[in-house]
Amino acid sequence: MTTGRPSDSPSAPQAPEVSNDGNEIHAGPPTEITPETDLASLSQSQLYELNQNLLEDSVPTRALIEDIAPMSVLRAEYENGSQSFVKQIDSLVAKGFDSIRRARGDGDCFYRSVAFAYVDSMLKAADVAIAAASAISLLESTFPMLEQAGFQKLVFEDFYDVLASLLQNIAQGTNDGKSLDSKILLAFQSPEISNSIVVYLRLLTSARIRTDPNEYAPFLFHPEIGIQLEPREFCEAFVEAVGKEADHVQMTALARTLRLNLDVAYLDGRSADGHVDFVEFRNSDATPLTLLYRPGHYDILLKSGNGRA
Amino acid sequence: MDARLRRVTREIADCKNDKTSSIKIETIDESPFHLKGSFPGPEGTPYQGGNFEIDIVIPESYPFQPVKMKFITKVYHPNVSSASGAICLDILKDAWSPVLTLKSTLISLQSLLCSPEPNDPQDAEVAKHYMTSKASFEETATYWTHIYAGGPGSKDAKQLNSGDDVAIAGLEHTHVDRFVELGFPKAKVVDALRRLNYRGNNIRNIPDDRVIEELLK
Repeated sequence: MTTGRPSDSPSAPQAPEVSNDGNEIHAGPPTEITPETDLASLSQSQLYELNQNLLEDSVPTRALIEDIAPMSVLRAEYENGSQSFVKQIDSLVAKGFDSIRRARGDGDCFYRSVAFAYVDSMLKAADVAIAAASAISLLESTFPMLEQAGFQKLVFEDFYDVLASLLQNIAQGTNDGKSLDSKILLAFQSPEISNSIVVYLRLLTSARIRTDPNEYAPFLFHPEIGIQLEPREFCEAFVEAVGKEADHVQMTALARTLRLNLDVAYLDGRSADGHVDFVEFRNSDATPLTLLYRPGHYDILLKSGNGRA
Repeated sequence: MDARLRRVTREIADCKNDKTSSIKIETIDESPFHLKGSFPGPEGTPYQGGNFEIDIVIPESYPFQPVKMKFITKVYHPNVSSASGAICLDILKDAWSPVLTLKSTLISLQSLLCSPEPNDPQDAEVAKHYMTSKASFEETATYWTHIYAGGPGSKDAKQLNSGDDVAIAGLEHTHVDRFVELGFPKAKVVDALRRLNYRGNNIRNIPDDRVIEELLK
């Protein structure tokens, strides 16, 4: 996709191959790529595909959402490195955050972590069935906003159905001996279910930004070059596209739409005394869901008191 | 039914039911995951009057991964490989979103024909031609639309027989003939001039001995 590369045109002009009806040409099969292939001989699209395949082959072993781990596991990763991170981890533990649930670092980790923490929080509600049922009705009420934002029902209902059926399972309770906790974890580890839910949350975020431009338009900037973007441009490129990480605007829009209380703890290694900044999003009087942010990545932060660790 | 199949089936039906759209999607064989799309070339462009066919492959993790599309119909455009039909378009790569559909993606390809991005080319030679002389580029693109996509062709095209490899390469017969007269095979001359972008004002920058040097390679 860059300039200055050799063209992938054939070295000699081809005689035009015109089929009998005179308007249709079928390109030949793609050249087979072997370890001997000179990379310079490949077209840009072949190089792109090759790179994609390599990325897919090196699939991270980390699950999309992992089981709960003690903070000491995270601390151990920093013990030989930045001491300011270690101090910040210790201060989180002192606040009662003694556990972490990790998300795969695939650019969807904010949405996946919020989705998991949101669904998981229903299991802790006084009445689980009511919590799940009211979440379903809240989500159903988002259809008009999605359609107003220009999303086709054909597109969003598949993603919605996945999340709704997970919530219905919770509302109905378990009767096969497996705990709801393990069912939710399995669901979030299954790519199709997990990614559908992530996409639905992305659509809610995008629809909120698109349908409330007065509220959000002043804050829509290109994350790399800093120029201001129209809501449509911003949402297409940085909300709806797979693997594009969320920033403050997206968090605000999603938390408001799901009426979430959300805290994000910033573990940035910048504080000398281990102080950790929390960014708070307040939309209800519920116990906030807490995420741990490290530059470029989000995980779920838990207190074993209410995290059932 | 698996989610991918359900979505693709509905997308095809949705496209068939939309009588106002000029976008078509059809199956090629038994597989619902290998399709052929087509759309008319946009009006007011060199692609006007042509019908452009697209090879569509639905990957296993669709719609979480982008659909694979390439031009079946040969098209002369900076962002489409003139040899393989491969397309340079962000939504087919890292800007893909699961809200995009086969139809909306085909519409994006149609608008790519209206607005070439020569600074992010798929085919560097075509992009050079576009930057050097837009008029000459458009003539060649119109010619390709005529012979490959069933378009009407330009009124003043000198030769419209489909074997005119000089016109296909976007070159002038007088230029090619001048070097053929020196004893070089025609195919070799066409290839060299095409690579040197021997078109429009750029000719001034290419002395004859540079062409000869290329021909002797």
